[in-house]
Amino acid sequence: MAAPSSAPHKPRRNKAKKTATYDAIPKPEALVRTPSFPLAAFLWPARGSVSQWEVLPLILMAVGLFRWAAGLWGYSGFQAPPMFGDFEAQRHWMEITTQLPISQWYFNDFQWWGLDYPPLTAYHSWLLGKIGAFIDPTWFELFASRGIHDPTLKIYMRATVIVSEYLIYIPAAVIFVRRYSRLFGVAPWTAWVALVAILMQPATILIDHVHFQYNTVMLGFVLSSMSSMLAGRHMWAAVFFVAALGFKQMALYYAPAVFSFLLGSCIYPRINVGRFATIAIATVISFAVLILPIVLGTLYDASRGIDSQPDLDGPHPPLPIFPQLAEYLDTNAVYYPVVEQLVQMVHRVFPFSRGLFEDKVANFWCAINVVIKMRKYPAVLLQRISLGATLASIAPANLILLFRPRKELLPYAFAATAWGFFMFSYQVHEKSALLPLLPMTILLAGKQGLGKDIRAWVGFANLLGVWTMFPLLSRVDLKVPYVVLTLLWAYLLGLPPTSTSAYFQEDQSAWIQWSTAIIHGAFYILMIVWHGLAQFVTPPADKPDLWVVANVGIGCAGFIMCYLWCLGKLVQESGILSRSVGQNTGGKSKTQ
Amino acid sequence: MTEIHPSLWQCAVVAAALKILLFPAYKSTDFEVHRNWLAITNSLPIWDWYYEKTSEWTLDYPPFFAYFEWAMSQVAYLVHPVMLRLHNLGYDSWQAVYFQRFSVIVTELVLIYALQMFIDSAHGTSRRAAQAAAISILLSPGLLIIDHIHFQYNGCMYGILIASLVLARNKSGFLASGLVFAALLCMKHIYAYLAPAYFVFLLRTYCLSPRSIYKIQFFNCVKLGSGIVAILGLAFGPFTLKGQMPQILSRLFPFSRGLCHAYWAPNVWAMYSFMDRILIAVAPRVGLPVNQEALKSVTRGLVGDTSFAVLPEITPRICFALTLLFQAIPLTKLFLRPTWEAFIGAVTLCGYASFLFGWHVHEKAILLVIIPFSLIALRDRRHLSAFRPLAVSGHVSLFPLLFTPAEFPIKTVYTIFWLMLFLVMFDRLAPASNRQRFFLFDRFSTLYIAISIPLIVYCSLVHGVVFGNRYEFLPLMFMSSYSAVGVVGSWLGFMGVYFTS
Repeated sequence: MAAPSSAPHKPRRNKAKKTATYDAIPKPEALVRTPSFPLAAFLWPARGSVSQWEVLPLILMAVGLFRWAAGLWGYSGFQAPPMFGDFEAQRHWMEITTQLPISQWYFNDFQWWGLDYPPLTAYHSWLLGKIGAFIDPTWFELFASRGIHDPTLKIYMRATVIVSEYLIYIPAAVIFVRRYSRLFGVAPWTAWVALVAILMQPATILIDHVHFQYNTVMLGFVLSSMSSMLAGRHMWAAVFFVAALGFKQMALYYAPAVFSFLLGSCIYPRINVGRFATIAIATVISFAVLILPIVLGTLYDASRGIDSQPDLDGPHPPLPIFPQLAEYLDTNAVYYPVVEQLVQMVHRVFPFSRGLFEDKVANFWCAINVVIKMRKYPAVLLQRISLGATLASIAPANLILLFRPRKELLPYAFAATAWGFFMFSYQVHEKSALLPLLPMTILLAGKQGLGKDIRAWVGFANLLGVWTMFPLLSRVDLKVPYVVLTLLWAYLLGLPPTSTSAYFQEDQSAWIQWSTAIIHGAFYILMIVWHGLAQFVTPPADKPDLWVVANVGIGCAGFIMCYLWCLGKLVQESGILSRSVGQNTGGKSKTQ
Repeated sequence: MTEIHPSLWQCAVVAAALKILLFPAYKSTDFEVHRNWLAITNSLPIWDWYYEKTSEWTLDYPPFFAYFEWAMSQVAYLVHPVMLRLHNLGYDSWQAVYFQRFSVIVTELVLIYALQMFIDSAHGTSRRAAQAAAISILLSPGLLIIDHIHFQYNGCMYGILIASLVLARNKSGFLASGLVFAALLCMKHIYAYLAPAYFVFLLRTYCLSPRSIYKIQFFNCVKLGSGIVAILGLAFGPFTLKGQMPQILSRLFPFSRGLCHAYWAPNVWAMYSFMDRILIAVAPRVGLPVNQEALKSVTRGLVGDTSFAVLPEITPRICFALTLLFQAIPLTKLFLRPTWEAFIGAVTLCGYASFLFGWHVHEKAILLVIIPFSLIALRDRRHLSAFRPLAVSGHVSLFPLLFTPAEFPIKTVYTIFWLMLFLVMFDRLAPASNRQRFFLFDRFSTLYIAISIPLIVYCSLVHGVVFGNRYEFLPLMFMSSYSAVGVVGSWLGFMGVYFTS
């Protein structure tokens, strides 16, 4: 396809290339003479005169191949009755959204993976279910299709993840990387390297394309929101962020940072009421549009006499949360089913009734649980402590962003906020580590992003993050894709255990160089030793979870380092200390 | 000399990662064939290898490959002995899959080593081109599809072939080149198709004096001859002494098969069959006789023995004669001007001739053409423009090997990725030729490449939607005829380049 259009340029380009290669020193645009890590070497021939329309398709094809190939492996819950896993949950949602009236979506339970994601996921499932039923209706038959293991269904589901990602996450990543790198005047070639590194993140591929989920849709909306912020389109930033929240409530991890930035940019450099109003109205309208199908569907179903809880004999039970609402509202009014529906949706999406943490996850509460058994405390107290600790951990980053709403700071503030939530909030899942990893990884596209310091820390966070997911992955025999994708990424970016090229950056003080290297080195050694133990040594009989607990402890300590680094970089980059503006972050930033 | 990026080893590491991820992918019966051979060589005495027929996949490769399987089975015995049981037919536990798939990746190190030899043998500005060509071979979609998904050990054997070709670059390597090739022949006899080029080249450069063809270098002849005899003796000697040669030969050369393989390889006979099909419709109007018996055969064009309704039948003798004829033409030039480039060109043209005119050619044999050609495709732009249609058609013609939906994205996306990457890169690296280019040949190859896109879309998507399962032969026939046009076109183009450069 490209050949006819490029034909007239052929001779010119050849000549240019030849002189660049053999006679003269490479163009000044290439700052380094030799690639310092393998990924740079792979894109090395693309420096100079190559058009993005040649490089970008190649990059997207290459990362797509790795995704599809990884998808050939098993998925969560493969042949694991009775409940199967995430794959079955997503398939089941396609089943109920296409087979049941809309008002029953959030009430439906059947003791089987009730829909507990926000409405956009429900609509997404509906669409995929409709398309899938066109191919093979037996995939989504009510009840009959539970735990179905048709290999063609697997291919279809894998394809839906890839297509969703290529429609949302990948364009968002491409645009974000371009905008963010231009902000610092980073050369396009460097931005491509960063783009490949971002798209090859092992944790994202393993969770979405192997273990099975649609996180990249939500992450893609978040990236779109961030790149709208970079472009100064505050209204669209709000709209995209609502979409992210509407797809997966986990996006709340970023909400304070989004709020701080958007509010801050309405206040600094001067108060801008118009902008504030636009953002507020856009947010409200987007939320309204988001729930509109549910509201209309509920009203329509109610008018046709379709009950949202058909299995119920007597009157509807009181509202699951906010029962006092019923005292003010007329339970027989036309709008009441809508209230009931929305309250039920919120109840499903935010399960406060569950514990502080569910499985073993490398966050603070689960780690501290080894020493102090958290479950003996009342749930309300734990909720309050958790809320307080989360707020304390995200406050510094968000205050800085509120008072210094600068675009350069966005990834640091997003990462620090998400790390705070991951470490201290309620009901964290190990897959949630994807959320802080995303804003940290996009730092690669920024100032000195491929320099040693950022590469070392971003690499450390990613490798540690994927390592904490190992117990989750090994439960469904995904050790091979885990090892391959993780080592591949480490190799491409020149990180341990394949290389130590990311350490000892020249322009840093020796103290920082050595402390970074020693801290990271210690963690990498622990991770490798842990893998050896988990593989070959059975834990003592009275402590069967020993290796998982060790994983949690090490992971938690490492994540705290990452949190502190992000916060420290945020303080440093914001210039808040150099102007001696006394913020409450002064003490913490010293550690880095 | 400055390092060229990325290096071959870096590419090999990333490619290996993808190949490991492909472990659970579709595998053809060749997987079971090789598992069975591991079992045969491990559990039976050598004298029974070529007589064993518990499985229908009997050992039909020459002895060196059997030794190779024996060596691997020794490792397999340590890893997972269950897969070595002779009666364990169709055994494909994950241990067996991991072991066999992994053995393909490990034995491919031979290819990487040979390609590094090739890069190191190039000097100056051509080194960059050599590296690009080497990487293109390493990442070849052909090897990925055939070896790492479909399952075979071509990577290792093409590595030996390339090593032999590279050795022939220097005078000091002529003898080694011939001996390595002889060893390769004892591993897989399909390479005999290339043997005429070796014979002529070594005869002219090594056995005859460079100055005059009437002076024979006797000592060289003795060295080469005794070396080849020793290698053949190692391979076949023990079996000859036991009087097993007739049995081995009947296994190696099963002449009972038909003209076209199950899927038509894109060669002259595919075009011939296609013509025949068109003539079935046309013949009654122009009064040509139609063989009614051949018409009735429902499986025409899909199964082994194709018979033609209008055009005359083809016998193995005709195939053989045509192959030899079209091999002889380039070899005369090689005899007169025995340079290394001419040698590689002659090897390529021998591959072409056998692929285009051979009896029962398998589509996998296209690698016999693509891989030697890759080594010289970057000599100048005229070579490149002959190479381009081959790169497209040769790889597209391998698509029917994988027919499962899960592998469809892999084979198409990977091939498009490879074509885009290397055709663009080669285009930049190939120097201008000092001869005039052929009129319109470039335009032909561009047009040809452009047609591939709607064709692939039709064959893989549109046809299934429009016709469902009816006329299944149509996409196969289109693909194979399209590919045949590309292969034949590139052959004619390269013939022209070969004789004018």
